[in-house]
Amino acid sequence: MRVLLTGMGGELGTRVTNLLEADEQVEAIVGVDIDPPRGRIPEARFHRVDPRDRARTVAVVRDLEPTAVVHLGVYEPSARVPARTAATLSEASALVALGAAAQCVSLDRIVVRSGIEVYGRPRGGPQRPDETVHPRPTTPWGRTLARVEEVAAQAAVAADVPVTILRLAPVVGPHIPSPLGRYLRLPAVPVSAVADPPFSLLHQEDAAAAVVRALHAGVDGTVNVVGPGAVTPFQAVRLGGRIPIPTLGLGWLAARAGCELVGAPLPAHVIELLTRGRGADGARGAEVLGRAPVRSTVDVVHDLYEWAEIVHLDVAHRPLDETASAKPMRSGWRVGSEDV
Amino acid sequence: MNVGTFARRRVDGTHPVDEWGLDADVVALVAPLVGLRWRVEAHWPERVPATGPAVLVHNRVLGLSEPVVLARGVHRATGRPVRTPGLVDVAPIATVGRMLGAVVDRPDELTGLLRAGHLVGLPLGRDLPRRAGPLAAAALAPALATGAAVVPVALVGSEVGRRWRLLVGEPVAHPDGRGPLAVADLVDAARAGVQALLDSATDHLAGLP
Repeated sequence: MRVLLTGMGGELGTRVTNLLEADEQVEAIVGVDIDPPRGRIPEARFHRVDPRDRARTVAVVRDLEPTAVVHLGVYEPSARVPARTAATLSEASALVALGAAAQCVSLDRIVVRSGIEVYGRPRGGPQRPDETVHPRPTTPWGRTLARVEEVAAQAAVAADVPVTILRLAPVVGPHIPSPLGRYLRLPAVPVSAVADPPFSLLHQEDAAAAVVRALHAGVDGTVNVVGPGAVTPFQAVRLGGRIPIPTLGLGWLAARAGCELVGAPLPAHVIELLTRGRGADGARGAEVLGRAPVRSTVDVVHDLYEWAEIVHLDVAHRPLDETASAKPMRSGWRVGSEDV
Repeated sequence: MNVGTFARRRVDGTHPVDEWGLDADVVALVAPLVGLRWRVEAHWPERVPATGPAVLVHNRVLGLSEPVVLARGVHRATGRPVRTPGLVDVAPIATVGRMLGAVVDRPDELTGLLRAGHLVGLPLGRDLPRRAGPLAAAALAPALATGAAVVPVALVGSEVGRRWRLLVGEPVAHPDGRGPLAVADLVDAARAGVQALLDSATDHLAGLP
């Protein structure tokens, strides 16, 4: 299997790359993204390409002649890229990578990362929509995902191959660039004064495992991938020991401005999650992929707050033999909260 | 649940909330207050499945007391919460409603609840006391699709009174086939089950000295 992986520079993309590198069925992996991978990729090849550079992206795809495309190159507003360019990049990435791959006769499957934001949260809509519910996105990020799904479906029809669309619950974690993650880690967090709706999350390891499973299964269809359980915004904030600030109506404008000022911008889909909730029924996804996410939403929240801090070590008090054998980068201080 | 435990779990964020927003701590906190207003006497509660999904089809007159009576009676007898469709999806009503077990009244939402193994109360249309009201022909499609048990329940009491009786019938057998006709047959059987329970409650009262 020769795999083209878009979005390799994201946390999820890098993790999926590592899993595929250890997979004997995968003979080659080529990744493209606007950022370099977030960890070592001993086997895979990476091309740093802006998806708006159509000629270069097409050249990379044609050179590989992929048998499979894993399209993780969707850019959440205010995650890795600013909100104003996220939609343009996501749509360009889907159009160019999937479109070019569809022209390769070698292609036999497509896997696309989408999100449960695509369902939207219209008033009176289901709290946990399943895959039979028609998407009615109510935020820019939801509409972007809907367009990406549409392009993927068109590419699959053109190439006559199966496409698996994975609608992932929000993936947050201590090292994942995510507006929701940054917001929840603020010392004082604005939460709705009148609404405390439940939302579900997905651990990045479960997300990566789902992508790899989907790649091997090669099924044609759409599945939700959602971590078990739910938390409310107030609950999540308290689990992290943060201070919830009740916010109402126009207060959200001030909260939004304040959050942006301290480096945690609140895009519309995050405000929607906080005021209307976010969830989906992942039963079909577990059935189709043969694996249900194992880490609960509460576990994901705990992980988010267990962020390793810099611990300064007193070198003079360390045993001589340990100091001598330690690598230079660890001799003065190291990252981690473990007992030293 | 004592108030101290409730407050501590609220402050440290460890109170349980499920995917539809049901907050077991809040339910436990308001249960004694509900008991002051409604006293529910449950008959044959063992007919409610101890585990797995089920739709509890019940009658209603005005429909104000019935959802509370059903939820309280079944919860006290079996320990299982009952989800009530008909949530008004506007904050802060929706927030409180979700905490107490209300859900939006949509077939896909009910299907998801049943797939996850919950008990769902499904009210018949409003009608006179002791009469089973109408029910849409497709209302039990989620039950047939998920294989959930359909249990008729009669609620006997008056809106201004405190004492209510909750009578649970035998689960209705699922028809052999599938499709809209099978769903309509299931709906008719469930309605007939509720009416039979209401009739038996009336006969029982008539026989009293």
